[in-house]
Amino acid sequence: MMNLTKQIREQAKKLLEEKKVDLVIGFGQGTELARTTPVFIDSPEGVSALTWGPFCANNLAKYLIDYKNAPGNVAVVVKGCDSRSVIRLLDDNQISRDKIVVIGVPCAGQLEWQKVADEIKPDAALKETVDNGDSFVVKTSTGDHTFNKKDYMLHRCLVCENPNPVIADFTIGEELPVKNYAERFAEVEELEQLGLEEKSAYWDKQFSRCLRCYACRNVCSVCTCALCVFDQMKPMWVSKRTNLSENTVFHITRAFHVAGRCVDCGECDRVCPMDIPIRKLNQKIHKDLKDLFDSPTPGSKQGLLSALGEFSLGDPEEFM
Amino acid sequence: MLLKRLLEYVGFEPGRLTARWISASEGAKFASTMDEVTEKIKSLGPNTKMRDEIL
Repeated sequence: MMNLTKQIREQAKKLLEEKKVDLVIGFGQGTELARTTPVFIDSPEGVSALTWGPFCANNLAKYLIDYKNAPGNVAVVVKGCDSRSVIRLLDDNQISRDKIVVIGVPCAGQLEWQKVADEIKPDAALKETVDNGDSFVVKTSTGDHTFNKKDYMLHRCLVCENPNPVIADFTIGEELPVKNYAERFAEVEELEQLGLEEKSAYWDKQFSRCLRCYACRNVCSVCTCALCVFDQMKPMWVSKRTNLSENTVFHITRAFHVAGRCVDCGECDRVCPMDIPIRKLNQKIHKDLKDLFDSPTPGSKQGLLSALGEFSLGDPEEFM
Repeated sequence: MLLKRLLEYVGFEPGRLTARWISASEGAKFASTMDEVTEKIKSLGPNTKMRDEIL
């Protein structure tokens, strides 16, 4: 991992020194051991702030949207899942290819920082992280900790489709194998098996907790509307009341707005302060898109049309 | 089709939402579809989901 950090820093430094880019967006060490924060580096001296490890869960591709009209080029550090966002943004004409440089890092999975932070002393300093295949070893100033991937990794990483970036100008490190991808819809299938009342009760319980903080929308790399329907006052399409029925409308609308473009990066799920399993809504749509139209995950290939933006004569037509 | 499945996934009854493609020249199809829809909705009864807080 340290080796990868070094390589990322070298690459970033080179890009900045050669004036290929004016800004590098990457992961930097956060205030806590098990957290990273996005860093924005504009000088070769600043690259020492960059880091890499099993705590880099953020999807930095979202920040590219902020720089779409800025002069100069931007480099971004992406994992496999984030690279799908980059492709989706390119295909949506949100960013232009000649203005961005993609530094891809094959990713062995990201740990849930809360779970990790519970087990490490709060004053410990991070020394090194090592990937051992089935586990991560986090070496700290107060001792080494081993975290089993099965128990500590984000669910989205356990069923990862693209450990290796699907688009990258520079790839740092070695390519990694795909594991357990076939089981990606297990949670959705489990929920589908429930009866109508049970499903309704399950989602009522989830949606009733929603604070309408819109973190899921703000973090979403395909939520690119300049004016969001949930913010719009005239006409007010969706009420701002925070109750079960309005929250249900919000969640269904949000999930459906990104249908066919959602790259399944799982960020909405991760950032939810109320732990609402938002990704299970998006994954249901992914599963139906796969079953009905056999469409691949958006962003997994360049030049794919969004599933709801194309038509072929062979499409199933239940509404005729 | 996706929305219908999504609604059923969050707990709406199947059949609560109907979508049909009917041309302006297909008056009979429109009438028969509407008959079907009203019959189906009547048999389902009033929708209770998301209604609890509205007086």
